Amino acid sequence: MNGSRSTGSDFARRLLRNRLAAAGGAVILFFFLLSALPGVFSSHEPNRIDIVNILHPPSASHPLGTDDLGRDVLARVVYGARVSLKVGFVAVGIATALGLFVGLLSGFYGGWVDAVLMRFVDMMLCFPTFFLILSVIAFLEPSIWNIMVVIGLTGWMGVARLVRAETLSIKERDFVAAARAQGAGAARIIFRHVLPNTLAPILVAATLGVAGAILTESALSFLGIGVQPPTPSWGNILTAGKDNIEYAWWLSLFPGLAILVTVLGYNLLGEGIRDAADPRLKGR
Amino acid sequence: MMESLRRAVLPSIALFLLLASCGGGKPESAGKGAPVSDVPAYGDAIVEGSIGDVSGFLTAVTTDASSHEAAGYVFNGLVRYDKNLKLEGELAESWEISPDGKRITFHLRKGVKWHDGAPFTSDDVMFTYRRMIDPRTPTAYGEDFKQVRRAAAPDPHTFVVEYARPFAPALASWGMHVLPKHLLEKYPDISKSPLNKKPVGTGPYRFVEWKTGEKVVFHVSPDYFEGKPYIARVISRVIPDQATMFLELKSGGVDIMTLTPPQYVRQTETAEFKKSFNKYKYTASGYTYLGFRLSHPFFRDKRVRQAIAHAADKKALIDGVLLGLGQEATGPYKPGTWAFNPGVKKYPHDPARAKALLADAGWKEKDGVLVKDGQPFEFTVLTNAGNDARAKTAAILQQNLAEVGVRMKIRTVEWAAFINEFIDKRKFDAVILGWNITPDPDQFDIWHSSKTGPKELNHVGFANPEVDRLLDEGRSTFDLEKRKNAYFRIQEILAEEQPYVFLYVPEALPVVNNRFRGIVPAPAGITYNFIKWYVPAALRKHKITP
Repeated sequence: MNGSRSTGSDFARRLLRNRLAAAGGAVILFFFLLSALPGVFSSHEPNRIDIVNILHPPSASHPLGTDDLGRDVLARVVYGARVSLKVGFVAVGIATALGLFVGLLSGFYGGWVDAVLMRFVDMMLCFPTFFLILSVIAFLEPSIWNIMVVIGLTGWMGVARLVRAETLSIKERDFVAAARAQGAGAARIIFRHVLPNTLAPILVAATLGVAGAILTESALSFLGIGVQPPTPSWGNILTAGKDNIEYAWWLSLFPGLAILVTVLGYNLLGEGIRDAADPRLKGR
Repeated sequence: MMESLRRAVLPSIALFLLLASCGGGKPESAGKGAPVSDVPAYGDAIVEGSIGDVSGFLTAVTTDASSHEAAGYVFNGLVRYDKNLKLEGELAESWEISPDGKRITFHLRKGVKWHDGAPFTSDDVMFTYRRMIDPRTPTAYGEDFKQVRRAAAPDPHTFVVEYARPFAPALASWGMHVLPKHLLEKYPDISKSPLNKKPVGTGPYRFVEWKTGEKVVFHVSPDYFEGKPYIARVISRVIPDQATMFLELKSGGVDIMTLTPPQYVRQTETAEFKKSFNKYKYTASGYTYLGFRLSHPFFRDKRVRQAIAHAADKKALIDGVLLGLGQEATGPYKPGTWAFNPGVKKYPHDPARAKALLADAGWKEKDGVLVKDGQPFEFTVLTNAGNDARAKTAAILQQNLAEVGVRMKIRTVEWAAFINEFIDKRKFDAVILGWNITPDPDQFDIWHSSKTGPKELNHVGFANPEVDRLLDEGRSTFDLEKRKNAYFRIQEILAEEQPYVFLYVPEALPVVNNRFRGIVPAPAGITYNFIKWYVPAALRKHKITP
C-alpha cells in the first residue's frame, strides 16, 4: 500500500494552497462551529413565538429579523444549520458505506457477482432520485431520521460505480499480486490493499455528496415533507419566506444564503480534494 | 363530509358538512369599482383561482369544497339558500309542508331541460332519492334521506316525501343536486359513471372540459331557467399555492380568489391594488378546533380539557394566525346566527387557572413537565399538511401548553392519509381540524353518541345522554323557539365539557377584479347572485360570444 507520510503532507499542502478549497473548508468549519455552539451566535430561542413582533425587519435585537410567528430568524438559521449538517453527514455516511460495500464486492469478485450488482445499480439509477424519495416519504412518517436514511439509500450508486472501477484496476496491480502470492485471503486483500487506495475518489464523492444531500433536504423541507415544524431547517424557513417574500425579504434571503454558501463550500472543498489527490497535478 | 385540505375557492354556503376555512357571512365590503357606464352586458370570462383540483362533479359522492363549488355551476337542487340564508326554491317552484310537519310536497319548475335536451321531471328527483339511500352509492350524505318513510312522484311536476316524524333538516337536505336519471340509470355506482367526470346538469353553465390538475371550463347555458347569465365563460384554474395564485391575480391570470390574512392585511392595501380589485370581508361559516380523543387516559378527565382550554391563548391565535381577522369560537355555531348562544361558559387565557385544574386532576409538576403515576403529560397533535394556518395554530398552542407543563408534539399528515388512517381509525391523541357551519343547526352527525363508529363524524367519541336527547329534539320539530332552546342547551354542555377546545371563526376574504359588477355582499357571501354578475361592455377583456 502507498500513502506514506510524504504523500500525505504533500496532499495537505496542495489542498491548502488551493485558495478556493481553503475558503470552502473555512466556510464549512464556520457552520460546524455554528451548529456546535448555537448559543454563542444567537441569544434567542429558535421556537419562541412572539405574536407582537411578527415579521420585524432586521434590527439590533433581531439581527436577521423575525418570521411570521415572531421567531428570531438568526436563531432559526443557526439551529437549522444543525439539521442541515446532520442530514448531510448521516445521509452521505449511509450512501458511502453502502456504495463501498457494493463497489468492492463487485469489482473484486467480478463475474456474476459483478453482473448482478451492477445491473441492480443500473436499475436504481433509472429511478429519478427525487421522485423515489418523495414516494418513499409518502409511506413513512416524515422525520429528520427518515429523510437521512432515504437520502442515503437513494444516493449510493455513484459511489458504488466509482469504487468498482478503482477496485478493478487496483486488484491487477503488482502489490496485490504480491499479497496474493504470500497467501493473503480475500478479506485481507480487500481491506488492507484495495480499500485504502480507493479512498481519495470516495472522499471527493462524499464531499460533493454532502452538498447534494443538504440541497435535497432543503427541497424536501421546503415542500413540507422534510423536517417537520416547528423544528427549524433551512428548507422550511424558506417555505415561510416564499409566502411573505414581497414584504419580508429577510425571511428568504438569509436561509437561502446559508444553503448557497454551505453547498458552495462543500463543492469547492470537494474539487480541491480532487485536484490535490490527482497525481497528474502533482508538484504544481 | 369532513372539511377538506383543498381550501374553498369562493366563499359560498355549503348545504352539507364539509370543507375548511371559508364560508358566507355578514358583508363588510371594502373598495368600489371605478365609475364606468354600469350597464349589464353579456360576454367575457371569469377565471377563478382554486387551490385544489376537482375530484368529481357528482356532489353526492364527493366531499371536498373544490368539487362542490365546480358542480354548483352545472347542477341544481330542489332548494337552495338565498342571500339571507333562507331556503328558496331552485328546481322546485314552491312547496307545502303538511300541518303535522311530516310531509313535503314539492311543485317542480316546468319546462326545465337537461343540458342534453331531455326534459327534467319528478322521475329525476325520485331517481336521486333512490340513489341516495342505495348502499351501492358511496355517499356521506345518506343519513338525511334515510329518514324518509315514503317518496312519491304522482305526476311529472310533483314530488312528495313523507317522514316518520317531523324532521327539521328535511327541507335543506333537498338542496342535494338532482341527478339525470336517463344518463345514470345504467350505472349501479354513480361515482364510477362517466357523468362524474363530464357532468350534464340543469344549471346556469354547461361543462366544457376538465384538464386534471390544470383547469375546468364551463360555458354559459343560454336557456337557463332563471335567465341567461351575463358572464359567458367560467374557467377554474388549479393553482396549488396561495402566493403564486396572488401573483397571478395581480398579473391578470386570475380574476377571483380567496386571500390569506397576510395578503389581505399587507399586500392589498396599496392604492394601485385597490384601483383594480375589490376585496370583501365577512365572517366565515366555519371554525377551527383542537379535538381530543376522549377515550385517551389523559383527556378522559373534564378538568384536563378545561385546563387546556384555559391554557390556549385564543387571542394570540387570532392575532398571530389570522392577523386579527377572526373571532373567538365558543361553540360549534356561527356568532350572530339564531342558533348561536352568546352566554356560554368562556375560557379566558389563564395559565394559573389551568395549572390549578391540572393539579386538581392529579398532575404534579416535575422538572417543568407535569407527571401523574410516573407518566409525563406528553401527547401528539395531528393536523393536515399544507394548511399554513393550522401549522401556525399548532406552533402557538405548543408554546401555550408548554407554559403549563404539558408537552405537545406536532405531526402533520397528508390529507387523505390523515382522514383514512388516523381520523377514521381513531388513531390520534388530539387533532387540529375545522368544520364548516351549515345554516341549519342540526349537528346530529357530529355530536350524537351513535355516530362514533369508524368513518362517522363523531371522531372524538363524545357521548352525553342529555346532548343525545337534545339533538333528537332539535331536529324533530319545526318550532324555532323549541329548536333554539335545544341548541342553546347543547352549547352550554359542550362549553362545560370541552370535547373540543373551540378556537376561532376566521373571516372569509374574497377578492374580485373590479371589471366585474353586480356583486352585492349579503349574509350568504358574494357568489349567491353569480349569474347576475357582468362586465360592462367597455371593460370587456375576453372576446367570447355567449
